[in-house]
Amino acid sequence: MRSAKTIFIKQAKDTMKNPSSLIQFILFPVVAWLMTEFVAKSENFEGMPVNMFVVLMGAVFAGMGLIMVTAGIVAEDIEKKSLRFLVMAGVKPNQYLGGTGSFLLVLGSITALLFGLIGIFTTAELVKFVVVLIACVANSIILGATVGLMSKNQQSAMSLGMPVAVVLAFTPMVANFNETIYNASSFLYTQQLNIITNDFTEDFTKAMIVIFINMVVLIVLFSLAYWKRGLRS
Amino acid sequence: MIQMNNIVKRFSNQTVLSDVNFKVREREIFGLLGPSGAGKTTIINILTNQLNADSGSFKIGATAFETGLMLDEDGLFDRLTCLDNLTVFADIYGIPREKAKAALRNVGLEDAMKKAVLKLSRGMRQRLALARAILHEPKILFLDEPTSGLDPATARSIHKLIKKLCDNGATVFLTSHNMEEVVKLCDNVSLLYKGKIVEEGSPVAICERHNAIKTVPDLESVFMKLTGYREEDVI
Repeated sequence: MRSAKTIFIKQAKDTMKNPSSLIQFILFPVVAWLMTEFVAKSENFEGMPVNMFVVLMGAVFAGMGLIMVTAGIVAEDIEKKSLRFLVMAGVKPNQYLGGTGSFLLVLGSITALLFGLIGIFTTAELVKFVVVLIACVANSIILGATVGLMSKNQQSAMSLGMPVAVVLAFTPMVANFNETIYNASSFLYTQQLNIITNDFTEDFTKAMIVIFINMVVLIVLFSLAYWKRGLRS
Repeated sequence: MIQMNNIVKRFSNQTVLSDVNFKVREREIFGLLGPSGAGKTTIINILTNQLNADSGSFKIGATAFETGLMLDEDGLFDRLTCLDNLTVFADIYGIPREKAKAALRNVGLEDAMKKAVLKLSRGMRQRLALARAILHEPKILFLDEPTSGLDPATARSIHKLIKKLCDNGATVFLTSHNMEEVVKLCDNVSLLYKGKIVEEGSPVAICERHNAIKTVPDLESVFMKLTGYREEDVI
């Protein structure tokens, strides 16, 4: 527990000094706010849902940004051998990933809340939106950590993570225009985010169950990567 | 303190270590000499449990916690300050944070405490990596080419620190391909060539056996004199 806490603090200091990671947590809500204020609320675009950009950017943040950030952080520590020194000092790889992941979850949750405050929601809708977004953030952190573990360096993490992130972030958007893709993608956690945020009367419990099943699958994938990387021993 | 018996290590079809044996006594500075690719780092990786040997055995008179490590790749957190880098490890080891400052003072980095690692010179990075290795006052210190690529003044300050650590009770295991460094520092050495120990003993004894005792021009002292380097500047 002490080691995970230490890694949490280390990651906080490191991320605050790493603009390329930090910007992911700021850029998406800022763009959502700008687009909402100047486009969605504009009289020139009547009929456009006022929360369109909040939902869109929220999905891209949860489905894409977090995967790339987490994969980049883990791959950097592997590439620079920092993880090796931590492990040699007695940090278990799960403590390292727990500390790093929990910090990113805290930061991602703050961003999710920001998205919620930018949008125009009732209290019930706001709670549903933030909860489902945080659950998706958690899934993306696990997936990003898996990508990071599978990569030899940051460059390969980007190459490996990008197609995964694009599929997860953009499939729900394409699904809005094609019923087959809509049905096929309904097992993705990002699609559940899309379903709930497009219509808050949709079955919230069902969406959370699908997201939870995704989480279980991702944890299994992560464990396989962890085992393959030889970190278990 | 350290004993390696008949260690064999293969990578694919290539035998990297072949029947390696040596013994390191407590509180000595032991040098493992050899050209690049001889298998020196592989031996350190085996001794620090980062790699398993295919056959043979080894014994170490210290736990993982009582071992300090400095490798050619320093693994420092670039964006953090020198002090933060050491504080992370002090917290992991569960030792007072004040020891991080003391370790920085020991390697002469007290003025760079709040400097980000990415702004450090190579020599300063090496010294910080050494500070991290000695932070928890280990019984055994593994140093993989600790002065590789450093200027003579920085190398000399690291030499002095290694001797001081040994005087304070640490056993030092270092690898090098710098013969002069080894002669200056080590009590005993083993010469590794193509994965085999080809010679061992004290540097003087080895040189005597091979009729290689000679007086060589000491260019390093000239360099020190001309660059205004003083012995008292050494940490």
